[in-house]
Amino acid sequence: MAETEVTGSEVTGSEVTGTRSLESFLDSDTRPLSRSPIPDDQDSGPAAARVGEVVESSTTTLIAEARRLHGAPDFGAFVRIESDGQQLVGVVHNARTQSSEPNRRPMAYGKTEAELRREQPQIFELLRTQFEVLVLGYLEGEAMVHRFPPQPARIHSFVFPCDAAQVRVVTEDPQFLRSLLEAPGVPTDELLLATLRHALEQRQGSTRDYLGVMGSELSRVLRDDYDRLSSLIRRMTTWGRGEAS
Amino acid sequence: MLDLSAVRHQINSMVADHAEGGTAAFDARVRVAVTELQRWSSDWPALQQQLDRSRSSWMVPRIVSGPLAQGCTAPDRPERLSVAATDGSQIFPDRHEISPCYLLNIGYVLLHYGTDERPLLSSRPSLYWRDDDLYPQWGGRRTAINRDMVGFRRSLLELTELAELAAASQAAGHETVALTDGTLVFWGLEGRPPDFRQASLTALVSSFDLLASRRIPIAGYISRPGSPEVVNALRVGICPVEGGADCDRCPWLGQVPPCASVESVSDAVLFRQILQPGERSALFESGSRVLEDYGVHQIFFFYIHAGDEIGRVEVPRYVAEDEELLQLVHATIIDQAAKGGGYPVSLAEAHERAVVRGPEREGFYRHLEEVFVRNDVGARISRKSLRKRTVGV
Repeated sequence: MAETEVTGSEVTGSEVTGTRSLESFLDSDTRPLSRSPIPDDQDSGPAAARVGEVVESSTTTLIAEARRLHGAPDFGAFVRIESDGQQLVGVVHNARTQSSEPNRRPMAYGKTEAELRREQPQIFELLRTQFEVLVLGYLEGEAMVHRFPPQPARIHSFVFPCDAAQVRVVTEDPQFLRSLLEAPGVPTDELLLATLRHALEQRQGSTRDYLGVMGSELSRVLRDDYDRLSSLIRRMTTWGRGEAS
Repeated sequence: MLDLSAVRHQINSMVADHAEGGTAAFDARVRVAVTELQRWSSDWPALQQQLDRSRSSWMVPRIVSGPLAQGCTAPDRPERLSVAATDGSQIFPDRHEISPCYLLNIGYVLLHYGTDERPLLSSRPSLYWRDDDLYPQWGGRRTAINRDMVGFRRSLLELTELAELAAASQAAGHETVALTDGTLVFWGLEGRPPDFRQASLTALVSSFDLLASRRIPIAGYISRPGSPEVVNALRVGICPVEGGADCDRCPWLGQVPPCASVESVSDAVLFRQILQPGERSALFESGSRVLEDYGVHQIFFFYIHAGDEIGRVEVPRYVAEDEELLQLVHATIIDQAAKGGGYPVSLAEAHERAVVRGPEREGFYRHLEEVFVRNDVGARISRKSLRKRTVGV
C-alpha cells in the first residue's frame, strides 16, 4: 500500500497537498510484469532471469505469462520451473499474445508499433503474452528424471530458460522424444524437430553422433509409420548441411 | 422480471411521438437559433448588455468572446505531452446487505505522448464503514448517507485525486493536462447544509488553487451535453420587451412568447450547425448559482466538435484567461478524441479502471460475508436480500 491512504472522513474536509509521488498512484499490488521492451532496472537477484510466471498448472502442462510482451521463449525451447523445491523441466509448445481484459479485443490502428508506442501507449498495458509448456520431468540434482513430477508447478512459480548444461542433460536420454510423441494436443512433429535443434545448438563437435542416436531412437518408435519417419529424417539430414529445415 | 412484450406498446407510442413531434418543427427552431446566433455573432457585446439588463428565469452565461457563429480551429498538440485523467465509481450503501458500508473506486490514468514512457493505469478502492462515514453529521443533524451524497463524494474525490495526480506528473517533469469526465460545476452543492458545502468547497477550491499555482490546465469534458445555456442567452436576445426581458412579468403569460421560437434547442444542436470537426466555439462563463462560492475559480465553457459529437468543455478561470493553456486544452481534447474514436481515450481508460461491474459487486459482498463469518462477527443480511438470492416456486 502506498503511503497516502484516502479514507472517508478525510475526503471532503482535507485540502489537496500536491506533494504525492507518481508511485503513490500505482495499484497496491506491485505490477509483476513489464510491458515495455526496456528491462526494469529495479529487478535484480535470481528472479531477474525469469521469462515468465505460471498462471495455470497441471501435472502434464502449464501456462505461463511472459514477463515481457512478446517475450515468450522460442517454440521448442527448454524451460525450468522452480516450484516449492522442485525443478520442473518442460518444453514450450505454444505462445499467444492477446488482450488481458476479457471483454476488450485488440483492433487495427494502421500504425507501426513505434508510432503506437508514442501515440497510443495504453494499448501495450492491456496486452499480454502467454506460453504453454509441456512438462517432461524434473531435475534431481544434476540428473534429469523423465517422469512427471509428484506435484504440479505452483501457480505464480517463475519460469526460467534452461542453460546449455541443463539442455544437454535433459536431451541426453532419447526418452524425451517418446514423451513428445506421446503428448496429446501438441504439433508433435514440428515440436520434435524444434526441440532437437535446440538440443543440437547446445552441443559442439559431436552433433553427428548425437543425431545418429536420436535418429535410431525415432526409427524404433516410428517403425510402423514409414512416411512420417522418413519425412522427419529427411528434414533432419538437411541441418548438417546448414540449410533451414 | 421485465415483461418486454407488455412494454412494447408503450415503446411504439414513444417512437411515434418522437417521429411526428416533429422533425420539421424542431428543424425550424434550430434554424431560428442559428440565425439568431449569426445576428449577434460579431455584435456579441450588445447581446451581453441585453443579458445584463434582463431578469430571465433561465440560467444564462456571460459571453466572454466572439464571434459567436464562428469556430476556432485547433492548434497542434505539443509533440511531448502527458494527459492525466481520473474517473470514479462506487458500490452504494445497501442496508439489505451484510454491512451498510460503501466503496469508492477511483481509476487513474497518466498517458505520456511523444515518448516511449510507460503509462500509469491503476485504480484505488476506498472503503467507508465508520459511523462518521455512514451517518455523517451536517447542519447539526446525523442522517444516514444516501446515494446522492455518495455520488457527490465520489465526484469530489475524482477531482481532488486528479489534481494530485496531475501535480505529481508535472513535478516528475512532464508537461501535463488534467482531464475529468463531466462537469466542474458541482451543482449538487445547492441546498446542502452550510458546513457540508464549506467542507466540499475547501477541497474543490484547493484543487484548483494547486493546479493554478503550477499552471497545469484542467478541463471537464461533457459528452452529449444537454444544457441550453447559450440558447437561453439567444432567448433573451429575442425578447422584444423594452428595457430587457423580465420573465416574471412576461406580457405573453399564458400565450406563446416570441422566445419560444428556439425552445428545446440545446447548445449542442446549435453548435453542430456552426462548428467544423476540430473547432471550438467562443468562450462563455457559466452562470450557475453554485459558482458564487468558487472564489476566484469561476467556471468557463466552450463547445467543441470532437469528430463525431459536439462536446462541452469546462475550464476554471485561470485556464480561460490564459490563451496558451486554453489552446493546450483545445488541442489535447481534439487529439484525445481522435485517439479514442470520438471520446477522449484517457477518460475511456480511466472509466475502465474505475468501473465496478455487477459481478464484482456481488463478489465484494460475498467476500465480505465470508470474512464476517470467518471472524465470527455477528451480521445478518435482511430477509429481503436473502429472499432475492433463493427464490422458491
